[in-house]
Amino acid sequence: MPDTLTRERRSELLAAATHEEIVPLAERLLADGAVPEPTVVKAPETGMVMLQVREPVEEIRFYLGEVLVTECSVDLDGTPGWCMRSGDDRVAALAGALLDAAAAAELPATAEIDALCAAVAERLARADAAEWAEVTATTVKFEELT
Amino acid sequence: MGYSGVRGGQEAIAAAERLVREARFGGSSPWLELDQITRHLNLAVDRVSGEGGLWAPDLAARAIRQAQGDLLEAAQLLRAHRSTLPRLGYSLPVESAELTVVRRVSPAHRNPPGGQLLGRTDDYTPRILETEDTGDMGDTAPASHPSPSDSAASDAVSRSGARDLAAGLYEQGLLAGRHRGDDPEPYDITRAPARPGTPRSARLSALARAETGSLTHLWYVNAHNPLRGGAEIPLELRRGRLPLKVTHPHTGRPVTVARCPVTEARTVRSTDRPRPGGSRFDLGYGLCFGENEPKAVAMAGLDLLVHRDPHTEHLEQKVLIALDGPEASGFLEHLKLPHYVDFRSTIERVQAVRAAAGEAR
Repeated sequence: MPDTLTRERRSELLAAATHEEIVPLAERLLADGAVPEPTVVKAPETGMVMLQVREPVEEIRFYLGEVLVTECSVDLDGTPGWCMRSGDDRVAALAGALLDAAAAAELPATAEIDALCAAVAERLARADAAEWAEVTATTVKFEELT
Repeated sequence: MGYSGVRGGQEAIAAAERLVREARFGGSSPWLELDQITRHLNLAVDRVSGEGGLWAPDLAARAIRQAQGDLLEAAQLLRAHRSTLPRLGYSLPVESAELTVVRRVSPAHRNPPGGQLLGRTDDYTPRILETEDTGDMGDTAPASHPSPSDSAASDAVSRSGARDLAAGLYEQGLLAGRHRGDDPEPYDITRAPARPGTPRSARLSALARAETGSLTHLWYVNAHNPLRGGAEIPLELRRGRLPLKVTHPHTGRPVTVARCPVTEARTVRSTDRPRPGGSRFDLGYGLCFGENEPKAVAMAGLDLLVHRDPHTEHLEQKVLIALDGPEASGFLEHLKLPHYVDFRSTIERVQAVRAAAGEAR
């Protein structure tokens, strides 16, 4: 799986990772010197992204409302890294951007980062499947009384 | 008429606020954790998020706690907080078909393509006040945790994908297609007020932010109005999660950065008389943040009715102007502040008019 991880998929998984999943890894890679000190291009900023939906009646777009996100950009010896994730956890956004840059720069630490992404993907797939199994248990075919 | 400022009373105001804080933080019961609110008062959190116009469950939980459970006040706190945050951008347009479903029912079709999934609901069971604190999950708890492979067996129902339950009505010519060829930019009600004559995108945004109780009420009085035509039946009601997708700044391709729980409804309503083109139904759409089924259904009903006839009883105007919780409660709250000057001047005006009338008599 790590071989097939696109940059967007990695960003999605780093965004879906918990604080406890990505922050310790980023801190350890920095402490070990496996990842150089990044330049913070855009400090973690908490703000909103407007969720735009295309509705089915006229197929027009409308704004449903805004979603709280935190965004961060870094630069790792010339390779840019970026993270946007829901909520207001600035430390996790910084860690996500750092790990994104390290993987984009194809540093040796990429294997560890992609292993973490694989674990997140596995956790999400498991939760999704468990939820779907619970939901399908409520499948119904009502009978009409005649 | 307006609010005139007053001066003084600082000590009394501080003492009054202290009483509020004592009620909020004091007493023998421990302070509610945010986690308790987001997990166990989740419908309140979803409602406040929708009315505040910001999906941020932890902030909504904070607002509910600070407002001591007053959901209107909580939505106002969230809306005000929202105005302090920068807008980092706009998501890529997401379609209804991208909803990851956790519940999907069709009140109109017994056996719709894609199946009926009741999901988490107590719509079909008696709802009785439980007077004993058993914390009992009842006999509904699954005996074992389902494994991922179990889901593969369920092929009759589907997790996502568009199945247009209105397709049959279109094919029979009972519903006129309204798909637009152009792709207008959405109207942003957070930047410009929604007023009659603004595009439908403004109406949908205003309804999505509407105060749930007001929305339910406005829908209710109009749904029963004989002027509004035939019976309304929802084609489909769904809950699930929509992806928040943005453009990756370094690759230019879409990336999903978050998933937002939403409730969606599509409703149809017949007409009393056939129209020149032969169509006999109209279609309405509702979508709101979180789990809020009454809101989605009422929104779809009002979207439909405004499309059908925006002017009778100023329906479009009411939908756009009268349903915002923070606006309505803000106006009401301000009435409780000192209006001494206004009141005095009102009395003086009335007296002057009466005196003038007396002289004329």
